[in-house]
Amino acid sequence: MIIALESAVRLAVWLLLAPLLPGVINKVKAWVAGRRGPPVLQLYFDLARLWRKSVVMSTLASPGFVAGPAIAWVALAGAAMLMPLGPAGGAISFKGDVLLLVYLLALARFCTAWAALETGSAFGGMGAAREVSFAVLSEVALITAVLALSVQTGNITLSEMLSLSVGSGAMLLAAGLFGVLLAENCRVPFDDPNTHLELTMVHEAMVLDHSGPPFAVILHGASIKLLLFAVLLSQVVLPVGKLSPLAGTATLAGAVLAVTVCVGLVESLTARMAFRRVPLILTASFLLCLFALLLALKGGA
Amino acid sequence: MTTGELLLGAALCLVLGAALGPWFPRLWLALLLAAATGALGAALPMLAGAGPPEWEWRSAFAVGGEPVHLRLDSLSALFLVIVSFVGGASAVYSSEYWSDDTRPVSAPAGRLWMSSMLVAMGLVLVASNGLHFLIAWELFTVSAYFLITLERESRAARSAGWLYLAASHGGAVLLLGFFAAIAARTGSWDLGPMRDHRDLAPLFWLALFGFGVKGGVFPVHVWLPSAHANAPSHVSALMSGVAINMGIYGMMRFSGWLPVPAAAGWAVLGLGAAGALLGIALAFLQSDLKRLLAYCTVENVGIILIGFGGALVGVSHGDAPWGRLALAGALLHVWNHSLFKSLLFFGAGSVLHATGKREMSQLGGLWRSMPWTAGLFALGAVAVSGLPPLNGFVSEWLVYLGLFDAAASRGSAAWMLMPAAIVMGMSGALALATFVKAGATVFLGAGRSKAADDGRECGMRMLGPMFALGSACLAVGLAPVLFWPAISRSIEAWRPEWAVSEAPAPIITLGWVQAALAAVACVAVAWLWRKRARNGLRRAPTWGCAYSAPTARMQYTGGSFSGIVASWVPRISGFSRILRRPRGPFPSGATWIEEFPDTVLSYAIEPMAAIVLRVSAATRRLQHGRLQFYVVYLLSGLAVVAILVWIGVKQ
Repeated sequence: MIIALESAVRLAVWLLLAPLLPGVINKVKAWVAGRRGPPVLQLYFDLARLWRKSVVMSTLASPGFVAGPAIAWVALAGAAMLMPLGPAGGAISFKGDVLLLVYLLALARFCTAWAALETGSAFGGMGAAREVSFAVLSEVALITAVLALSVQTGNITLSEMLSLSVGSGAMLLAAGLFGVLLAENCRVPFDDPNTHLELTMVHEAMVLDHSGPPFAVILHGASIKLLLFAVLLSQVVLPVGKLSPLAGTATLAGAVLAVTVCVGLVESLTARMAFRRVPLILTASFLLCLFALLLALKGGA
Repeated sequence: MTTGELLLGAALCLVLGAALGPWFPRLWLALLLAAATGALGAALPMLAGAGPPEWEWRSAFAVGGEPVHLRLDSLSALFLVIVSFVGGASAVYSSEYWSDDTRPVSAPAGRLWMSSMLVAMGLVLVASNGLHFLIAWELFTVSAYFLITLERESRAARSAGWLYLAASHGGAVLLLGFFAAIAARTGSWDLGPMRDHRDLAPLFWLALFGFGVKGGVFPVHVWLPSAHANAPSHVSALMSGVAINMGIYGMMRFSGWLPVPAAAGWAVLGLGAAGALLGIALAFLQSDLKRLLAYCTVENVGIILIGFGGALVGVSHGDAPWGRLALAGALLHVWNHSLFKSLLFFGAGSVLHATGKREMSQLGGLWRSMPWTAGLFALGAVAVSGLPPLNGFVSEWLVYLGLFDAAASRGSAAWMLMPAAIVMGMSGALALATFVKAGATVFLGAGRSKAADDGRECGMRMLGPMFALGSACLAVGLAPVLFWPAISRSIEAWRPEWAVSEAPAPIITLGWVQAALAAVACVAVAWLWRKRARNGLRRAPTWGCAYSAPTARMQYTGGSFSGIVASWVPRISGFSRILRRPRGPFPSGATWIEEFPDTVLSYAIEPMAAIVLRVSAATRRLQHGRLQFYVVYLLSGLAVVAILVWIGVKQ
């Protein structure tokens, strides 16, 4: 009973807080540019409006057009439930859960890309092709980061891997994972969420043909993914799990906010990169994670 | 009935089926299904622990001068389950796909060779005598050759069959050496555990490559893509889902019975990692649906070998517990791969059956006319990409657990196992890209040719086997713990010291989590579906950026989908392009063909074969049919012999 209640609260926290992050990023961007910007809660308003709207579906689309976003959302919410939250730990924790998390993210990618190709639109094809191709490199970086953490802590359970100790490679790992965060969540310099040119989009090109509730589900899922990566990144650097519940929660919230502000600053201060340069930065992220792995192997006993 | 009676019954049914099958298709199907049931009845109790752990039968009756010695243990039973299950499914599928009505000549021959191939594979699994193993192996090879070349009028099928036969016999030579060397060292052709014969260890290298050719191990996989692509689809499923597993069985069987050299683990791991990465990279670049699936087989064999190599490394590192996990993953992946790969080949076969095309750039939009095939292919695509909550993830996860445990222990093994884990991550992401491309290009969007628009759903005898395989994929994914006893008994048969009875706790939790995820996903899909209907739904053409005359050819093709990755690997893939630009004020036509041939075949095997052929052609010039020259050859030969004798006498 307690476990069910705790899981429900945890899920509610994830689902309710996630749309805050894009709002914060937009506020930071507006602040740097000297504008007032949209309210922080803008995504909540958008989601509520989309949820009430009717749906326009392409004549070519199969039921997968609706099923894809739904499964992707479940996969992302499931991944969020596996992610430990500081002193509270994860909802379910078992040996190898970290790999389930990585592959749930992959399942979400499969479903989004599949749904993007449903309409037969060339833009959907472009977006999906870019998403799955760049993900090859970011997945390698992510697996390497996970390996570094498991070598560092001698464990492959997420809650143990994230709560134990700050290794010497934590900063390298954080830099590498920040690159993965930007690429996986389609932020500048990999993708521009505000672009209006379909030819240069990744994520936006995939969701061009979606509307109404399925589109709301996609947007909400994307915000969960951003929060997930921010929480992961924060816990890689800070041993939040060892703090008292109150201090841990506060630290985690502060760290997530800091990561979000960093994303906003990167977005304000850099331009989107040419697509042929994207593999280079992702390879750099992979190398950072690899150096962290080597440090973990050679470093602390 | 006892194990022996069941196996004998199964063999008799198959032999009878081979004899009568060409004339009585229904009787053949019934006999084959009876044989499959019998073999499953023998294998499943052994794997579940209900029957005896091993069945052995020795007879004084001699075949080829050697007394018959048969044996079925948990390891061979694991493979026998696949032979029976996928073999039965292929037989049912073929009864509609390759029926007498459409193929009056080749369908009867197909029934004969299919029975003979299944009985040969069964014999390979139970033979416990080197000579009989070789005979069964040869029968299996030859039957498979006739099945691949069923469509004899196709030039591509004939040359694929020839390449297969040549490659298989290259491997068979190594195997002949392998078994002959064992017989010479031990004094008998009889096989069985002989782990204390340390001097037999170097023979592992013969077995690795001899079986590796059949198992589709990179870089001796060269025959595999063309053979699997050009064979009839039920044969492709049988080849990819079952036949390559015979190679893996050989490697596992004899590395369990014989001692292995110290470097064996590293070599297997290296070959596996190379196959996993390059196999799937080449698969992603293919434009022929069945060729893509064939390359994906190379990848999955690579994953199996990574797990198996991890186990061998574990053995040489003081029986490390992570070796057990990696082996469990490899064994489960043998099952999983054969389930989802035969499902996918059946799906590709249904598409070929309905449209006559396997070139993905001419297909598209088939979900409307073939909804069941599309759904089942999508299920197989998720499974083969190793995504939760299906079976592919469970076995890859077990292999990962082994590799990560080894890394976390920071031993000397970590240095080799970590790159394998990273390679597996990369090949997983590429597999996802490959199957998004395959599924979406074939089944989604608009049809790219008239044939694709005229597709129709196949009948129940083709859909039924696909449903059976799809449900098996779901079952392994949602309740992996049910399949654990089979895995743990096979591990015990491979290495008795590694006996584990209890399922590890994480796999139980994983099963629950996957089942819960699947249930929640179903609820979410149903909910969103209803919400969509309640909010009001409007159908409209796909947005074409204000372009008013969109055509199906504006869609992204498979080639453009893999373009980004193709630009990363221009040298490795060695692709060829044929470009004919539109010319003049009234261009008559244009062509743009991109092909990704097999790198190893075109850069290593073909040049070598060309040299051999050139030498042979040069030698043939001596044989011109002019008698007077033959007399000169004879005389000069005699003279050489006379000189040799003279030298010999003088000494």
